[in-house]
Amino acid sequence: MDPDTAIGGPHAHFPSTQLSLLEATAAGLSSEALDRVIALYWKPVYHFIRLKFRTNNEDAKDLTQGFFAAALQRDFFARFDPAKASFRTYLRMAVERFAANEHAAAKRQKRGGDVEFEPVGEQVAATESPEQAFEREWQRQLFSLALNDLRAHCDRLGKQLQFSVFQAYDLADGERPSYAELATRHGVSEASVTNYLAWARRLLLGFVTERLRSTTSGPQELHREMRRVWR
Amino acid sequence: MEISDSVLDHLRHVAALPDLTGTRYELETEIGRGGMGVVYSARDRQLDRRVALKVLDFALAGEAQLIARLEHPAIVPIHETGTLPDGRAFYTMKLVAGARLDHYVAGSPSLAERLRVIRRVGEALAYAHTRGAIHRDLKPQNVMVGQFGEVYVMDWGVDAVAGTPEFRAPDARLDQRSDVFALGALLQSVLPESVPPALRAIAIKAMSSDRAARYPDASALLADIDRFEQGLAVEAWSEPLWHRLRRFGSRNAVMLWLLAAYAAVRLLLFFLRTF
Amino acid sequence: MNKILVGLLCGVILGAIDGATAWFYPEVRSMLTGIMVGSSIKGLIVGVLTGWFANKVQSTTWGVVVGSAFGLLFAFLVAAMSSVNGRHPYLEIMLPGFVVGAIVGFLTQRTGTQGPATKGAL
Repeated sequence: MDPDTAIGGPHAHFPSTQLSLLEATAAGLSSEALDRVIALYWKPVYHFIRLKFRTNNEDAKDLTQGFFAAALQRDFFARFDPAKASFRTYLRMAVERFAANEHAAAKRQKRGGDVEFEPVGEQVAATESPEQAFEREWQRQLFSLALNDLRAHCDRLGKQLQFSVFQAYDLADGERPSYAELATRHGVSEASVTNYLAWARRLLLGFVTERLRSTTSGPQELHREMRRVWR
Repeated sequence: MEISDSVLDHLRHVAALPDLTGTRYELETEIGRGGMGVVYSARDRQLDRRVALKVLDFALAGEAQLIARLEHPAIVPIHETGTLPDGRAFYTMKLVAGARLDHYVAGSPSLAERLRVIRRVGEALAYAHTRGAIHRDLKPQNVMVGQFGEVYVMDWGVDAVAGTPEFRAPDARLDQRSDVFALGALLQSVLPESVPPALRAIAIKAMSSDRAARYPDASALLADIDRFEQGLAVEAWSEPLWHRLRRFGSRNAVMLWLLAAYAAVRLLLFFLRTF
Repeated sequence: MNKILVGLLCGVILGAIDGATAWFYPEVRSMLTGIMVGSSIKGLIVGVLTGWFANKVQSTTWGVVVGSAFGLLFAFLVAAMSSVNGRHPYLEIMLPGFVVGAIVGFLTQRTGTQGPATKGAL
């Protein structure tokens, strides 16, 4: 029986393939581990810098790139103390320090010139603080990456139908089709629709967990962050 | 893949829904978020009844075993425990039909009724303490008053993390005395506007920041409430003299009237004799 | 303490006090001791009877009624046997006797334990 699609299959059937941050650091921080951190945090950092320092798009991009290039060395990870804060908070505070320094330096250079201000209209400007925006984008990116993982997984296993049903329902913006409609549209029974959705959601949860695992120090922080995502 | 805010919220919601395939339960709807877990209503297909199903947050499995050990009329009985496919622990329990304590109080029950509820809660606490269990997060939201007047204390053993601060003792370590604090706070929360000073004193004593000044256990607090209801002096309150006399008077009314009658008779006879 | 004993003690003590109020009547002051003794004995009898009733029946109301009745009865007897200035002091003895009986009735209901009187029941 295919463990991935068996309904009610054994728990913890979703294999944890990822190393935690502590494990990865101990093993020498492969580029893959770093890539995963960047993949999750690039957008949140970018949005945070834009809101916090009111920079334009280009400057924010530059600062984000600069942060990841300069700060993401081995001792950035080594200096992380899980007892003090989550990795998410630690990284955000490091961004703050980095960007504040760079921004101040850039301002000094631009003395006498015009400081460009691009309205931050396309983001949720007035209602959200930069910190809230950071966390929101972090959540968004977390799910976004997990969805990519899910799609790739479905492609590998030839389960495109299941993914289509899932996409049509759970990824629908606005009004969702009924199960009956989905059943007709995809040529399956309603019971199958229910099963596919349950299966896809279960896998999604697993992929979200894995994405989180590679950006948290260990099981305790992982579970704290999981609880935070779902509060 | 780009996802909008609404899709993100939807995904957060559905991905956390417990996958109950393979169990005998059918998920219905979310009915509350307790400390460290979400409670759903579900249907038990085998017994054809509705139950409350609590899914514990990731990596918190101790709660079910803790509560399953407790058997008391005021502690919701646990039916079954299990593990979800994603590794989370869950347990099912009786689905209580009733009102949360804060809503119950809003219906203006009598003082005797309110004290009865507090007494039930205190008895449950006292029992649990003898079994080594501590509630840690006692507050009106965790007390249910059922349709037949039965009282249930829920959400045992979790840490009051993001709870209501007024019910959390300022103790470094949460133990039985912190539960006593919370019981005092609970008492205070159900007292009406015009509260007898003795009751307020009981609540205040239970809520002192000095742990040693509180009641040593829940039973002591209940004993003081008993004394109040019987018209006796309360440990928590040193009453002014006139109040003590008033209390003495009301408790011994009959006797005082009889003595007054005797005195009246004597005076009457004395005056009659004069004339 | 057994209720009969309670009644006995209360009856004697209250009877003595009641008798002592005769001091306020100069015409009988000279016989004070005798009056007090008589009143104490009256009180003892009333107390024992009321206590016996309390032993059988637990009811504050009825205890007071029965106590008052016994108090009134024996006060009447005492008044009938006495004469002050040529007349029987019915009012002066029966009225207080009635109330004292009521008090004894109340006390025997509220204190003491029901059950047979045994040696050392104190």
